[in-house]
Amino acid sequence: MGTALDNLQHLVVLMMENRSFDHMLGGLKKQYPKINGLAGNEANPDTTGAMVQVTATAQFEGQLKEDPDHHFPGVDLQIFGGSQASDRTAAMQGFIKSYFTQVNNVKTSRAIMSYFAPAQLPVLTTLATEFAVFNGWFSSIPGPTICNRAFAHYGTSFGQVSMDIFYLLDPILSAYERMIAAGKTAKIYYYDQTSSTMEIVNLLKNQPQLFGTFPQFLADCKSGALPQYSFVEPCYNDHTGDDGGAILASDQHPDHDVREGERFIATVYNAIRTNPNLWNSTALLVVYDEHGGLYDHVVPPACTPDGYVAQPSATNTPQAFAFDRLGIRVPAILVSPWIARGTVVPGPEDPVNGRVFEHASIPGTVTNFFLQGDAKRTVREQKAQTYLDLLTDQMRPDGDCITFDL
Amino acid sequence: MATPMRINVPKTPKESFNPGRPASHLLRSQAVHLQEALAKHIGEIASVLAINPYKLRTEKEFGDYAKKVTAILHPHNSPPPK
Repeated sequence: MGTALDNLQHLVVLMMENRSFDHMLGGLKKQYPKINGLAGNEANPDTTGAMVQVTATAQFEGQLKEDPDHHFPGVDLQIFGGSQASDRTAAMQGFIKSYFTQVNNVKTSRAIMSYFAPAQLPVLTTLATEFAVFNGWFSSIPGPTICNRAFAHYGTSFGQVSMDIFYLLDPILSAYERMIAAGKTAKIYYYDQTSSTMEIVNLLKNQPQLFGTFPQFLADCKSGALPQYSFVEPCYNDHTGDDGGAILASDQHPDHDVREGERFIATVYNAIRTNPNLWNSTALLVVYDEHGGLYDHVVPPACTPDGYVAQPSATNTPQAFAFDRLGIRVPAILVSPWIARGTVVPGPEDPVNGRVFEHASIPGTVTNFFLQGDAKRTVREQKAQTYLDLLTDQMRPDGDCITFDL
Repeated sequence: MATPMRINVPKTPKESFNPGRPASHLLRSQAVHLQEALAKHIGEIASVLAINPYKLRTEKEFGDYAKKVTAILHPHNSPPPK
């Protein structure tokens, strides 16, 4: 049968939206102590000075109608508590303060400390405990979606820390373009035209042939036509389908119903799982683009700079940003029958064996595996941890891997 | 306790469908980016360009706009999901 890497033919990445690790998976620590989630006594001060502990009171929708701030200044407040001193400490104590600036209500602002009980998220928590969960996967920038997703495609945001359109300042190709140039196959699957894609200006505008829709992903999984590298996007808005039926957003961006995202993740998993040849030859990464303003207790670590500096006029804070530290931690799970059940990849909590991953790990892994690293890319991406060493040489039997009933 | 091999995934309540929900900053940015990309096709889409993405408010409005633009940018897509 050979080793996992002998059999590996497909890498699939599903990137969800705007939820922190502790918010989604923090509740697993109680049953699985190796998972660096919540002990229950983690707290933030509210604007009255009272300490507010984390609680398993997260709601599927309706609790975060005001989208928690996740732009650079807001995340800066969440991490540093509002200090702009040169020797300031990242204490993760500013989450409630940040949300209060939006909702102007003490009780409502405390919702930012809520997390899901594991039973509320049967798909994500089952995948996390049945396959490999990363204790140390961080968003690439302490900021919003577009710049973080850029790291997943290019290994850099070309100096952007915002939602603004970014322009390619270096001759660095996206992972998809690198693959195509080398005679390999790659595709970005967005949900449908009404949801569209978040990879618009530089990819959809110039490389429309790289794109497919989610029905095509499902068909490609079934027929065995999946490209070597696939990036899957969820549905970003509630809308009516062409047949008149209701299509719910499945991205889990607040305040979209988290349950629909659970179903979407399960659908992607089942599409791979139910084709035996595909299942045996695929590694699926489920990851979130950034934390969406929601509490996480782990201080983002330093990272290798990518050579850019965002000036204070771009960060909208008194300080420039040299891309030398990561954003807030997000859920990340690697799925494959070649992964031992219950694998927990240690993060910064383990000073000896801990590993730090971020979104530059995605093009880094794709490029190292399919192209043997042969592509022009940032130092940041070259230094980023890759994740295929987590695959073992022992494939789990078919009956040992779960299936979701949808 | 061992994990069962088949996991039931609850259905999302129909009441969660809310296309009138105010659009997030993410969707607002998406619309602006779509407009930027659309400029490449200006000869064929003048009427769509006339839509001001900054005046869109609901998820339905953003979705309708995204559909028009994406159909131009990526015309060879497969049918919508059932």
